[in-house]
Amino acid sequence: MCAMNEKVMNETGGPLGGTAVIELNGLHKHYRTERVDVHALRGIDLRIDRGEYVTVMGRSGSGKTTLLEILGCLSQPTEGDYRLQARSVTELDSDQLAGLRGAQIGFVFQAFNLLPRLSAVENVELPLAYLGRTKKISRRERRERAMNALERVGLGARADHLPNEISGGERQRVAVARALVNEPALLLADEPTGNLDTKTGEEVLALFDAVHQDGNTLIIVTHDPKIGARAPRCLTIRDGLLDRDVRNGA
Amino acid sequence: MEAVRQAFRLLLAHKVRAALTLFGLVWGTAAVIFLVGWGAGVKTMVTNGFAKTGKDMGQMWPGRIGEQFTPAVDRRHLWFSWEDILHVRRRARLATLVGAEKRQYIAVTAGQRAINMEVRGVEPVSQEIRSLPIGAGRGITQADLDHRRRVAILGVNARRDLLGAEGGLGSRVRIGGKPFEVVGLLDRVGTQFGRDGEEVDNQVWIPLSTHFAFWPSDWTDDDVVSFAIYRMPGRHLADETEAELRRIFADRISVSPTDEEAILGWSPIKTLRSLPMDQQDGVMYALSATTLIIGGIGVLNMMLDSVRQRRREIGIRLAVGARRRDILLQFFLETLTIVAFGGGLGLALGVGGCLALEALALPDLIPVPELSVGVVVMAVGTMGGVGLIAGIVPAWFASRIDPALTLRVE
Repeated sequence: MCAMNEKVMNETGGPLGGTAVIELNGLHKHYRTERVDVHALRGIDLRIDRGEYVTVMGRSGSGKTTLLEILGCLSQPTEGDYRLQARSVTELDSDQLAGLRGAQIGFVFQAFNLLPRLSAVENVELPLAYLGRTKKISRRERRERAMNALERVGLGARADHLPNEISGGERQRVAVARALVNEPALLLADEPTGNLDTKTGEEVLALFDAVHQDGNTLIIVTHDPKIGARAPRCLTIRDGLLDRDVRNGA
Repeated sequence: MEAVRQAFRLLLAHKVRAALTLFGLVWGTAAVIFLVGWGAGVKTMVTNGFAKTGKDMGQMWPGRIGEQFTPAVDRRHLWFSWEDILHVRRRARLATLVGAEKRQYIAVTAGQRAINMEVRGVEPVSQEIRSLPIGAGRGITQADLDHRRRVAILGVNARRDLLGAEGGLGSRVRIGGKPFEVVGLLDRVGTQFGRDGEEVDNQVWIPLSTHFAFWPSDWTDDDVVSFAIYRMPGRHLADETEAELRRIFADRISVSPTDEEAILGWSPIKTLRSLPMDQQDGVMYALSATTLIIGGIGVLNMMLDSVRQRRREIGIRLAVGARRRDILLQFFLETLTIVAFGGGLGLALGVGGCLALEALALPDLIPVPELSVGVVVMAVGTMGGVGLIAGIVPAWFASRIDPALTLRVE
């Protein structure tokens, strides 16, 4: 769980005066799959400001992944309102959601989820290619920005390697580069160190720290208490509800 | 283009399945070209075969009086005399040309060779109706008829068999022992679809009057002809022309014009009309299109499987900003690439095969698939339709995939 030198805040908390990246009001999510009705989220209120580094913890089945999917515009809440950058996304159609995912959100997954037949730099270019469908980005600019993102994660030299030619830690760094290449408002990570050993996991976390230092907003879903302790703010989800919202350290 | 590369990657990743799938497409497309082209070839062969008997030609000949309930053997034989033909020629309004022909097998000798040949007595008008290609010399003229000249015209095979390589115009042949001079040689006509005996290439033609003089009828003093030959003013008037001639003949030889056994008629146009050529086209197309559709089902199956296996890829693409229509387009283009590749090979095979068969110069009676813009358009169109359906369905499934579900770690 979150570190003990905690300072409990009110639930919609966050220092007043910051710019909200995320505002959730009474968020519910129902699934109806295989005759089972799952009430994954049961009313979440939450505000996350620009530049925050937040971890979301909880047991499996607590609803934390569902929350991440909604935050990432991969699925829509059944009930309640979600504002991303002060814009309500609950009314958007699938194309508009895709546009948001492409422009505002970067994903990092536990299983890296790189396309196996594309080289590292081509993987990083992918969001730009789809962004290019609506906003013209030249091939050269795409490659340049992808290379910059790779340099930023320290993998400029691996640009032409296929995912199966580099290590797990390197793959995850490529994924981080891909998530950052669009300069998104929000970086979402789901168990980013889950498939890595301690040492490489530590490298990736250090990378997240650096990304945070650059002023990015990060939300990491994890059940690793060490990551929870590392982030300035730690949320705990339990049975579809926000159980705790803790600010660590000073 | 990304979709093209992905399509070939997909083919390379599953070589056996790809080969089988492509085989269906290749063979299906080639089959459309072959079979539809072959149908057209058969049609042309038949049409040409009939056309060689004469343009808009018809024939008419006498039978027996067809009184009902009388056994055929007891009925009176009828015949047309040359006078009858000349009478009809004067009276006919619709038929533009009318002539008489008499044919008989007679021994023809030249030097040491003696062959039983069809010797045909003709008028100049026959040559016109039959549009005969005179290669050397001349045809039978009115003067030949008036003077009952002993002149002969030989078909290509008749000339080869009788005279060999050295013989030609001016050669002497004996027909039934009587000496004739060869004044004309016909070019090759080829196989004809007709009902009047030997092919022209094997025949010997002499003036009709000479034929009567040397080989008269043995039961009457009339100059008995074998049949009348005529040209109709156009194929749309085939029935009317025949009805008119039948009426004049019936009146002339005193039979009922409705007695279908008394006067018999034939024309290639009527025969052609009765052949199920257009139905044949439909059957050919249906058969070949089915093959292509089966190929398309193979592609459909392969793509559905590919979509299933690439759910995660689709999820990733959606997560990084792909719209549903981007996914739809990607898979659709992939399928189209595969179909275009297989179809292109099939097209090449079909067209190449047709050209090769054409180059072989097969004998008259073996129909060669005929290439035409229509056939190719038909093949490409069918292929396009198959590709469209085989492409849309998997692409639609791909675009409906829920990214959230595919990206969860199982």
